Amino acid sequence: MSVSAYSERPAAKAGENDGFSVPWSRPRPKRTVVSARLVSAITILVLLAAWTAAASLQLVSPVFLPSPAAVWAKFVVVARDGFVDATLIQHVAASLWRVFAALIAAILVGVPVGLAIGISRIGRGVFDPLLEFLRPIPPLAYLPLIIIWFGIGEPSKILVIAIAMLAPVALSTAAGVRGVSRERVDAARSLGATRTQVIRHVILPSALPSILTGLRIALGAGWSTLVAAELVAATRGLGFMIQSAAQFLVTDVVVMGILVIAIIAFALEFVIRRIERVLVPWAGRE
Amino acid sequence: MTHLTLDKVSVHYDGQPAAAVERVSLDIGKSDSGRGDFVVLVGRSGCGKTSLLNVAAGLVEPAGGLATVGGRPITGPGSDRAVVFQNDALFPWLTARENVAFALRLRGASADKRARRADELLSLVKLGDAGDKRIWELSGGMRQRVGLARALAAEPEFLLLDEPLGALDALTRERMQTTLLDLWAAAQVGVLMVTHGIEEALVLATRIVVLAPGPGHVVRTFETHFGRRYAAGEPIRAIKADPAFAVGRAELTDAIFEGEAA
Repeated sequence: MSVSAYSERPAAKAGENDGFSVPWSRPRPKRTVVSARLVSAITILVLLAAWTAAASLQLVSPVFLPSPAAVWAKFVVVARDGFVDATLIQHVAASLWRVFAALIAAILVGVPVGLAIGISRIGRGVFDPLLEFLRPIPPLAYLPLIIIWFGIGEPSKILVIAIAMLAPVALSTAAGVRGVSRERVDAARSLGATRTQVIRHVILPSALPSILTGLRIALGAGWSTLVAAELVAATRGLGFMIQSAAQFLVTDVVVMGILVIAIIAFALEFVIRRIERVLVPWAGRE
Repeated sequence: MTHLTLDKVSVHYDGQPAAAVERVSLDIGKSDSGRGDFVVLVGRSGCGKTSLLNVAAGLVEPAGGLATVGGRPITGPGSDRAVVFQNDALFPWLTARENVAFALRLRGASADKRARRADELLSLVKLGDAGDKRIWELSGGMRQRVGLARALAAEPEFLLLDEPLGALDALTRERMQTTLLDLWAAAQVGVLMVTHGIEEALVLATRIVVLAPGPGHVVRTFETHFGRRYAAGEPIRAIKADPAFAVGRAELTDAIFEGEAA
């Protein structure tokens, strides 16, 4: 067949079999697509409705399950007048301060440790077992020891949270460092970069997406440790507020505190994702 | 004249039963006033092309023989021998301009000077208006141009190109070949390049070294002149249409597949 004899095959009309289609390539019938977001919203609404119904029908005693309206009312009261000698904002601020101080400590220690694990065999030999030892221990288990060693002051609380954050930060950093492309490092070296310059200008920025993921996980771990950290000798903080409320069976404050912790954690997650988009816009686009 | 020389170099990787390269000698000259050599390594897979380039770059230590640049033994990578890889290896957290200026930043050049030099080099690779672009906004061909400009910013004596056009589509490749020749003519560097492209080797090289595997050794060396003709002003299409080009291609193909059942 010569080229000039070639004629374009007429386009198949919609729904018509063009004789080339295989059964699995036929256009799928149109389906309404349900967004996951919508499903999530409905789920939350249904849960709220069930909670309201259970509370208003008094299926469970209000002592154990206060109604959403009661929790909201409590929220307003605590926000205005406070609970156990501090307003809600002061409790939130105390907890946020502890979590962020711990996060900074975890970054200052975890990133260099992760870097050492990622670039040096000795670093890996030294730190890997330590992290693997530390990682699975629940904070409540090492809390007593930290109190014995460092007392009941603020440093102990921050330390408990920081320890929980250390492993995610260090391990994500190490994974990011190990994932740096060989060619990128070689290219930098052939452009005259010294070992320090390679770390500073190539390895750290390359690992940044992974480090930020680590921070996100660490913040989650930190929040989960918060209540444990505020178990002893705290006078402020969301964890402390919940525990004091629980001791007096003020269930609406307990529920309210839980919701506030969840909302703050959600907001932090959102903020970190935003930071990721600004700081590492190339992630996933290379 | 400065020389990058491999003298009877062998490469043996840890854990491999056989040597990857055995006693290969190469010489790439760089004239102080004019064009240097454009040496192209070709050969089937496993013939040790990239190993040799890595020895020249100082990224792989030879098991035997001696690699020298300007008479001094090569002990590691250095900015006198800038490498461009097949996958661009650019830094996505920097703009195109900052990528090009990388070597200058390492040397502590002022921001002003860096930007000026980077823009000069970007226009040299015909990307004058792409300085502010992010790497992921550039096409494969544009990325390789940025990679070349970045290598030239180090003011190397030699450019080591490891299949720099290998990941590009055929049409972009064709264009990039002339870009490479333009750079070679403008930048007064000696070039050592690895490629799989037979025509590419013929178009670019002043000397083609054909390697064969098992372990890698030199089977033939061709002195060619097509690249010089382009640099002297002859259009690239006319060069490729020259019957001598077809003859050269046939000879080179024969040399590459020599000793292999046809």
